[in-house]
Amino acid sequence: MAAVNQDNTLVVATTTAPSNSKQSQPRAKTVDSQSVLKRLQSELMALMMSGDSGISAFPEEDNIFCWKGTIIGSKDTVFEGTEYRLSLTFPNDYPFKPPKVKFETLCFHPNVDLVGNICLDILQDKWSSAYDVRTILLSIQSLLGEPNISSPLNNQAAQLWSNQDDYRKMVEKLYKSPKA
Amino acid sequence: MVSDSITNASIHAAPNNNNNNARDVGKKKRARSAKLKQCKLDVRREQWLSQGAVKNKDFKAEQNGVVEERKDRNNHRPFGNLGMRPGGGENDGSIHHHHHHHDSDLDSNSPNSLTSSVLGSNYSETNFTGSSSSSSSSSSSGGCCSGNITEDDEGGGDDGCLDDWEAVADALAANEKSKNPCLESPPEHDPIAQSGSPQETTIGSDGPIFGVENSKPQCARTIPKASGNGLAWRPDDAFRPQSLPNLAKQVSLPNSNRKHYGCGGVPWAYSGVVSAPSSCPICYEDLDFTDTSFLPCLCGFRLCLFCHKRILEEDSRCPGCRKPYEHEPVEAEASVHGGSLTFRLPRSCSLITRS
Repeated sequence: MAAVNQDNTLVVATTTAPSNSKQSQPRAKTVDSQSVLKRLQSELMALMMSGDSGISAFPEEDNIFCWKGTIIGSKDTVFEGTEYRLSLTFPNDYPFKPPKVKFETLCFHPNVDLVGNICLDILQDKWSSAYDVRTILLSIQSLLGEPNISSPLNNQAAQLWSNQDDYRKMVEKLYKSPKA
Repeated sequence: MVSDSITNASIHAAPNNNNNNARDVGKKKRARSAKLKQCKLDVRREQWLSQGAVKNKDFKAEQNGVVEERKDRNNHRPFGNLGMRPGGGENDGSIHHHHHHHDSDLDSNSPNSLTSSVLGSNYSETNFTGSSSSSSSSSSSGGCCSGNITEDDEGGGDDGCLDDWEAVADALAANEKSKNPCLESPPEHDPIAQSGSPQETTIGSDGPIFGVENSKPQCARTIPKASGNGLAWRPDDAFRPQSLPNLAKQVSLPNSNRKHYGCGGVPWAYSGVVSAPSSCPICYEDLDFTDTSFLPCLCGFRLCLFCHKRILEEDSRCPGCRKPYEHEPVEAEASVHGGSLTFRLPRSCSLITRS
């Protein structure tokens, strides 16, 4: 059925993708990964077509379950002009379970710890299968400008937040120094 | 019940697919992927049956209509395939010739007929075994279904996993050549085509495909359909195949239905990207009749039965509003059922006027 549909759509590769896993995995699992693949491919397409400014994401070279994303700090926030790389790892039961999202660039932010873990409700208990990569990245982008000071992962950042000028200087200093 | 139905369905579907494949091509690979689809469809059928058991009367009356409709489609279908597939490179002089085939192919690919063949082929196995007309049409639809799967497999089967998303990216830029010749004429049915967002540049790229005579004025005289349509949906090339039939379907729905979707649910989800109610926001598969008449949550968030079942097994909360699903799906189904009947009518009407 879906194949009838797909011969008119762009995602021609969808049907071919699971053929590798077919031999080794039981049927139920194959159905699963096939639908996850379809979902991720559709998301990728939607993301590329959406043209949102300041966010982007693309799968890693050989694994569509691992994406690299970038977020650019919004205008009129202390993160303006800075760019952050993130990694997104999708579980096999995505989108029923959230992807694991981490900052790969050091991000001085009250809700991001020093190794890049993010404290964001929609990535944990508030996850909904209706979210997608695009909404995740947009949420993180807006989290940058509007941190939740009450439950910080980075206490220093949380304390400094009240002083936006100093905070901006700190962001710039940290953004430039550990480039390596 | 549903998990039982999965195994039943696969056993049930196996001989059917194997027969078709043995007769048509005889490759296991295809049978397997066809089986997967069949498996999923049968799960839906089970859910639909259990939910709609009360409504059986109305339902059967409708199925008759559906099967009838599908027979018509199947008559056109093979021609559509023969005309289209190989025609990609050699459209030059024979565009008139192909028109009819293009049209019928689009129609049989549109969600309307997709669903009707879902209903038809499933039910003809169970409910309609006595009726010779339905059983014959079910076998023919099985045949053409596996034919399509074949083409898909061979289209990119050798590339393997690696190229999947690259193919998506490539397709964004490079699909004009492969897709447009095939899909050039259908959009005349689509309202979008008439509203028309002209793009001059696309004419140039049409040139090599349609030959020298494809300058604008001559086009209007000799092949008016093709030229008009080329302009109409070109800008959305990458999304066109999926969204065009969906949009057409959406337009044929009453306004209230669309409004309902837009207000309830998640306004931020997929609004500009996927033309909303015609594909499941969770798995991105097209919604069929059963799905579109299925409203599991008061917030209006729609999803396919398959994903709904999956969510019920886990946290059982609506993805749109995060509230737990309160009602039994049976109730929800019953409450929308009347509504679904009303918007099925205009849809089948539009089919008739189209073809």
